[in-house]
Amino acid sequence: MSLPPWISRRALIGLGAACAVLAVGPLLHDNLYLHNLLTLTFIGIAAALAWNWLGGYLGQVSFGHAAMFGLGGFVAARGEISLHLPMVFAWIFGGLVAGAYALLWGHPTLRLRGPYFSIATIGVGEATRLVGTYWDWLTGGSSGLSLPMHPNLKYTLYWYGLALAALALAASYALRRSSLGLSLLAIKSDVDAASDVGVGAVRLQDLVLFLSGAMMGVCGGFYASYFSYIEPGDMFGFDRSISWVLMGVIGGIGTIAGPALGAVIFVLLRQYLIASYPQLYLGLYGILLVLVILFEPLGLTGIALRLFHRVRPDLSVTGVAGED
Amino acid sequence: MAIALRAQGLSKRFGGLKAVDEVTLQLAEGQILGLIGPNGAGKSTCFSMLAGSTPPTAGRVFLGETEITGLPAFRAARAGVVRTHQIVRPFANLTLFENALVAAVQCAGRDHAGARALALEALDFAGLSARQHQYPAGLTLAGRKRLEMARALACNPRVLLLDEVIAGVNPAEAQEMATLILRIRDERKVSIIMTEHVMAAVMRLCEQVVVLDAGKLIASGVPREIVQNPEVISAYLGKKHEH
Repeated sequence: MSLPPWISRRALIGLGAACAVLAVGPLLHDNLYLHNLLTLTFIGIAAALAWNWLGGYLGQVSFGHAAMFGLGGFVAARGEISLHLPMVFAWIFGGLVAGAYALLWGHPTLRLRGPYFSIATIGVGEATRLVGTYWDWLTGGSSGLSLPMHPNLKYTLYWYGLALAALALAASYALRRSSLGLSLLAIKSDVDAASDVGVGAVRLQDLVLFLSGAMMGVCGGFYASYFSYIEPGDMFGFDRSISWVLMGVIGGIGTIAGPALGAVIFVLLRQYLIASYPQLYLGLYGILLVLVILFEPLGLTGIALRLFHRVRPDLSVTGVAGED
Repeated sequence: MAIALRAQGLSKRFGGLKAVDEVTLQLAEGQILGLIGPNGAGKSTCFSMLAGSTPPTAGRVFLGETEITGLPAFRAARAGVVRTHQIVRPFANLTLFENALVAAVQCAGRDHAGARALALEALDFAGLSARQHQYPAGLTLAGRKRLEMARALACNPRVLLLDEVIAGVNPAEAQEMATLILRIRDERKVSIIMTEHVMAAVMRLCEQVVVLDAGKLIASGVPREIVQNPEVISAYLGKKHEH
């Protein structure tokens, strides 16, 4: 079997093994709570990674990705209810619409430099939430939408969720390690200098934005199917957008797998904190965010790299980070 | 002699200001052309228009016989006109090799091995191959200027626009840089336009010099004539007081 030179065999085997364990896990030991928690984690992983393609690889931090998550969710839900699309096709449909929507507002705003793109995304996120609440025909208004329930649906969706997370992780790897990823890092570092050596920055930025938005939309569709009830205030919520920023930052912004790690920590921590200290949990995230930014800009991945370097100083781990 | 790059009536206005005013110049194949002038004369703006980073208000640019006026920078670079920056702009998050590879990939396309070879060769040419796995932060200013040139060379350019690559480095490094520029012309068959403040370098390297002042082309010719041209002297030193 011949692989492109940028794929490391170790990474491939690692991903395969992790997927295999998670895939057979529920068959060996059936625990509904754990099952549910893992599925939630899978969506978190897929969404955080998709956010990182734009926020980490290109350095364009979005505070409005819930716009695509919500839109994809509602379009997929409508696709299932009104068009009777099979579930997976409805997600893909939602993803395509969400990707197109991302391009619609993102193509002009991605040209903004510095923090202005991020500020624009806040506006987009909030505007989409408001419009979403008023557009009853799409979202059912503030009373939301209910989707058809099947017995065993939640149980089956576990594997779909796993596949989605694995797909997002594979895409993260491909985007970063292929020569495309190099161009993205060059754009992140200096978009003008990148253009001067032949990198078509506009097209690449738009491509990544579309992929990121489409993956968000698919996640939204999956979320809608999983909970069989969605409501605009929750789907388009600002705290949802912020959660992906947090996952990215905690896990390691711009790294390949960091945001996945961040998503695991985030979901687990939230589950525990919401049960025990419902008032405290947002505050704790804030503190965690400040600590990470102050002491380890690469988050948990940065800490892991340091530890690894201490154990095996002979092996240099380069190119994982892509920090500035 | 064949013409590598030609600009015709190139102009750029910023509001009421004419930064570059009807500049016409020709770069012959295999030539090194000096573009000089006092600060604010419009040299960098001229470069930006030739390289596509700034669209001209009027005028046309030809690469050989092909018109490249108004092409965005990345298309101009792929067509064969590549610039370096006066203030170096390395990709700080990439190793030297990756810095060159980004450029090489644009020319070599899907040919991975070809792109890697091109990048390595460009680094080697600029004398940086021993440091290929380091990051630009570890380089001196002269080193970063070399990186800037290596990255441009990795695009396999036909015309190279060098913006002040000698100014600011020490005399020994300046000598090496001058040698490198000559080697780029002779061994890689690249035609070069350079702006430069260090007149000694201009005198040594350029066969032809074009002088800009306040956006206008005021003189062109071989270096020896240019430094004796009264208009050029007054542009640099100011006019003599008439009694």
